[in-house]
Amino acid sequence: MTVEANERAGVESAVAGSTPARVLAARTRGLRKTYGRTVAVDRVDLDLPEGAVLGMLGPNGSGKTTTIRMLLGLTQPTAGEVELLGHALPGGAGHALPHVGALVEGPGFHPFLSGRENLRRVGAAEPLLATGSIRKAVDDALERVGLAAAAGRNYRGYSLGMKQRLGLAAALLVPRRLIVLDEPTNGLDPSGTREVRQVIADLHAAGATVLVSSHLLAEVEATCTHVAVLHQGTVVAQGELAELLQAGSPALQVSTEDISTALNALRAAKVSARAEGDGLRVELTGTTAPEVLRTLVQAGVAVQEARRHRAGLEELFARLTESEPAAIDAEEPR
Amino acid sequence: MTATLAEASAPTEGRAPRAPLTRLLRSELRWVLRRPRTLIGLGLLGLAPVVIGIGISLATGSGRNGPDALFGLLKGNGLLLPLLTLFLSMPLLLPLVGAMSAADALAGESANGTLRGLLLAPVSRVRLLGVKAFGVATVTLIAVAIIAVVGAIAGPLLLGGTSMLTLSGTTLTVLPSLGRVLLAVLWVTVQIWAVGAIALAISACTEHPLIAMASTLAGLIVCTVLESISSLGWLQPYLLPDSWGSIVDLVRDPLDMSSLTTGTWRAVCYIVVGLSLATARMATKDA
Repeated sequence: MTVEANERAGVESAVAGSTPARVLAARTRGLRKTYGRTVAVDRVDLDLPEGAVLGMLGPNGSGKTTTIRMLLGLTQPTAGEVELLGHALPGGAGHALPHVGALVEGPGFHPFLSGRENLRRVGAAEPLLATGSIRKAVDDALERVGLAAAAGRNYRGYSLGMKQRLGLAAALLVPRRLIVLDEPTNGLDPSGTREVRQVIADLHAAGATVLVSSHLLAEVEATCTHVAVLHQGTVVAQGELAELLQAGSPALQVSTEDISTALNALRAAKVSARAEGDGLRVELTGTTAPEVLRTLVQAGVAVQEARRHRAGLEELFARLTESEPAAIDAEEPR
Repeated sequence: MTATLAEASAPTEGRAPRAPLTRLLRSELRWVLRRPRTLIGLGLLGLAPVVIGIGISLATGSGRNGPDALFGLLKGNGLLLPLLTLFLSMPLLLPLVGAMSAADALAGESANGTLRGLLLAPVSRVRLLGVKAFGVATVTLIAVAIIAVVGAIAGPLLLGGTSMLTLSGTTLTVLPSLGRVLLAVLWVTVQIWAVGAIALAISACTEHPLIAMASTLAGLIVCTVLESISSLGWLQPYLLPDSWGSIVDLVRDPLDMSSLTTGTWRAVCYIVVGLSLATARMATKDA
C-alpha cells in the first residue's frame, strides 16, 4: 500500500466512524458502468444524507455525470444497486422521481418555443403538479431564476447563461425533496453563479437535499456540507466537508523574519519544518502547536503570527486526484 | 453489508403519481403543431392538390395522347382530384411526413436533451412511447386530411363539377364520391401509420433524427425497387408498398375492397411490429 492509499483509507474510516445511521436521500452500492471495454464508473458506493448539500467533485471524465445518470435511472448500471429517496431503482422510479428535480448534462429545451412554453411542457409531465397550477408554478420558477423578463422570448435566442437558468427553473418547478444539479454554473456570469449559490442555500435551508457536481472547487467549498471526490470512475473520498479538510496532515504556519534561527531551533528539537513564503511551515506530527511556539520563543525567534494550516479543498482535491499513475493503477480493480 | 438495497428500501407500494394522460397528449399535440417544420410541411402538402388541379385545368385536352389526354378526362370530375393527389403523394410525400414526425418524436427529442426531461418528470417509458405514437398518428392523419379537404374544395373549383368518373365507366354523384374520398383518407392514413411505426422504432434507436428519417425512406425506396423485380414475387406480399397501388380500387364501381383490406391488414402488422420494436428499445434506452 502506498502512502497515498493509507491516507485515503484514513480519510474514509474517519468519516465512516463519524457518520451515524442517518437517513439517506440516495445511495448506491457497487455501482458499475461499462461502455464496451471502457469502465466509466466502478465500485461507487455513494451515500447522500438527507438534508445535505453534497458536492460531487472530480476531473473531467471521472464518472460524475455517469454516476448521476444512473442515480436518476437515465442509464442502467452494468452492475450495482441504486436507491433513491428510499425506493430501489429502476422499479421505484415512478415513486421517487416526482420528488426529484434535476439539471443533467446541460439544459434541454426546444429552440422554437419560448422559455415559458418550454417550462409549461415540462410542467405538463410533472405528476405532482395539478393541471390548474401549472401556469403559476411556471411563472414562479421563472421569477426565481431571474428569467421573468425574457420568458416570452424563444429559447433559440437565449444566451448560454439564460439557458442554464431555464434548466434550473425546470428543476425547481415543483417543491422537491432532492435536487440534482450537474455543473449548474456552466456558462453563468459571476452574478449568476452567486444566484445559483443562493438558490442552493435556500433549498438547503428549506430542508431539501442537494447534489451538485462541479469541477469548480471554490463553488463546492462555499456551498456544500458534504463532498464526494471521484477519480477515474471511483469514489476516492466522501464525507462531511469539514472533516475531510481536517483529515489532512496538521501543520502550523509561522510568520517570522528569523527563518534560519527558527529552523535551527526546530531541527534541534527534532521537529520537521521548512521555509515557506515569509515564514515557515511546521509539521505537527509528534508535537503540538504550543510546544513548537515555546521552542521558537525560547530560541529568541520573533514570531509575528502563527496559525493552524487549514488544508483547502483544492489541496485535498489535488492530493486525491493527481497522485502518481502507479499508485492509481494499484488501486484500480481489474 | 449483507442486506441488499432492495430489501432494505421502503416498500414501493401503491400507484406512483402520474400526470393525467389527456394532459400529456394535449401537451404533445401543442408541441407537434407549433413546430415550424410541421406547419411548413402541412402547408406545402395543402398546396399539392392545388398545383395538380391547376396543371390539369391548364391541360387543354388538345393532345390525343399522353398525360394531357388522361388529365382531360378529369375535367368535370372535380372530386377525383383529392384521390389523384393522395395517389401521387403516397409513394414519397406522405411517408416523408410520417418519417419526419417520428424522427422528431424520439430521436429529435433525444438530440435536444428534452427526452431526458420527460423521463425525469417522470413519464414512464412505455407511456412516453404511447404519447409519441399518438403525436405521429395525429400529424399523419392531419396531413392526409389536408390533402383530401383542399383537394375536395379545389377540385370542383378548378376542374368544374362535383362528380366522380369511375374506372368502370360509371359516374358517381356527390355524396358517394365524398364517401370514397373519406375511405381513401382512412386507408391512406393507416398505410402511413405503418411507415410511422417503423420510423418510430428506428427513432428510438438513435439520437440523430436525420438517421431515422433517411433510413425509413431508404427502406421504402428499397421496397419499391423490390416490388418491381418480378422474380421476387414470393417476397412482395411482405412488403408494405405492395398494396399501395390498390388505392385505384376506390374509383371502381361497384367498390371492390378485397385488395384494400389485405393492404390494411399488412399495414396493421407493420404497426404492431414497429411499435413492439420501439417499446423494446425504449425500455433500455439511455436518455
